Amino acid sequence: MKRLRSLLLFFLPFVVFTYGSFIVFQAACDRAMSVQAEKLLPFNHKSHVTKYDASDCELCHGYYDNGRFKGLPTVGDCKMCHDGNTAKEKAFFKGFKDTDKPWTSWVKQPDLVYFSHMAVMKNTKTARCASCHGDKANSMTTAKIKGKMPMGRCMDCHTSLKISNACTVCHD
Amino acid sequence: MSGHAAPKKKVSDMKRLWGMSIDLDKCTGCGACQVACSQENNMPIFDDDSDLPKRVVFLDLMKVTNENDKDAKFGEVKVAYLPKMCMQCAGNDPENPHPPCVSVCPVVATDVGDDGVVSQIWSRCIGCRYCQASCPYEARVFHWWKPRYEGSFQEGLNPDVSVSSRGAVVKCTFCSHIWKRERDRMIAKGITDINAVQYTPACVSSCPTGAMKFGDLKDPQSPVYEEKLRRDPRAVRLVHSIDALRDTNPAEYERRMKIKDFPNPKVWYLTSNEWLREKLSGFKKS
Ligand code: SF4
Ligand code: SF4
Repeated sequence: MKRLRSLLLFFLPFVVFTYGSFIVFQAACDRAMSVQAEKLLPFNHKSHVTKYDASDCELCHGYYDNGRFKGLPTVGDCKMCHDGNTAKEKAFFKGFKDTDKPWTSWVKQPDLVYFSHMAVMKNTKTARCASCHGDKANSMTTAKIKGKMPMGRCMDCHTSLKISNACTVCHD
Repeated sequence: MSGHAAPKKKVSDMKRLWGMSIDLDKCTGCGACQVACSQENNMPIFDDDSDLPKRVVFLDLMKVTNENDKDAKFGEVKVAYLPKMCMQCAGNDPENPHPPCVSVCPVVATDVGDDGVVSQIWSRCIGCRYCQASCPYEARVFHWWKPRYEGSFQEGLNPDVSVSSRGAVVKCTFCSHIWKRERDRMIAKGITDINAVQYTPACVSSCPTGAMKFGDLKDPQSPVYEEKLRRDPRAVRLVHSIDALRDTNPAEYERRMKIKDFPNPKVWYLTSNEWLREKLSGFKKS
């Protein structure tokens, strides 16, 4: 009995330390990858796809001329279709400016990743939006569909499609 | 290389082999390349840049003189300026390119890329600094301190290059983020062949005298075609004395290439000054 207790006492600091560092690393990783995104608007992808016929994701999540991905649309992009005449829209456009950053993304990559949507989506071997983001087009809330995007998942696709896995392909 | 399951990269399989040539006779030592490099790659600013271990630069503009400054008489001192960055060594085995730094890294934080550029991924680096000790050109720098940027400099950081944390080694990667930027631009134009991408690193595009040239060592059209550089009597590679044997004593050259690893750098210096060539190559004609 005594032996067991001393053994437990001996290992306790290690266990506590390992658990503690796990929590710290997990939190750091979550923060870098935006696991807690802010979604202040109840956005409905599905209704936009069906009602406004925005079946092409690029209508709102497009590219700049130099190949950069635009990411989340701006309020100006919303105004392409919404003229802001109904009471609800009026309230929305009054309440939000682009500088207010109404929402953040679930899928931020840390700074050390040079992820290029252009290279992944428009190349000879292409991915689909849903391969990484989940079925966003049919989602009705802003809830997270797929979690973090760890490097292993990128590597799996690259390996199976025989795309280079060299470090500089994605890191800088 | 340890614990590295990726297929071996052969030099012959590389569609592109980026390299550089620097004409030291044209170089005026203005330092534009160093400034451009530091700006492009988010080099931190420290109060005192003469504090060598603290200083972090990828491209070092070195001053080379023919004599010891103190002993030389007036009129006899010759000066040249030498922009020195990572030479993107290939090692002397084309079947298995292994620069000195890549062969010692225990965690594959540095590796040979698909176009021969030696990558450095600071987030993977554990800070053992083996690579720094193994690099014959002192091209690697260690972050002893957290990178700091004064005042509004922070807002001007390049978003394509991540800022390293303390305790990691960083180095020049021939501005590989510019390659990626150019690749994206090409794909946006509908050209999906990534081997068609051409780019210019920050130092080369900033050089006002055109001393620095950048291109594909394998491409006969490029200004740095390797075959041509090898035959150029003005060309010299930094501390690579084995090059001198290639023409004078091919048998001995072959023998030494087999028994010893040479860095085989991809940066060539061009100069007609004999004293400078001797100094750079580490080989003195007796
Ligand atoms: S310091 Fe970093 S990059 Fe260099 S050998 Fe060690 S782990 Fe590898
Ligand atoms: S110059 Fe140094 S850091 Fe660059 S590839 Fe050669 S050994 Fe590695």
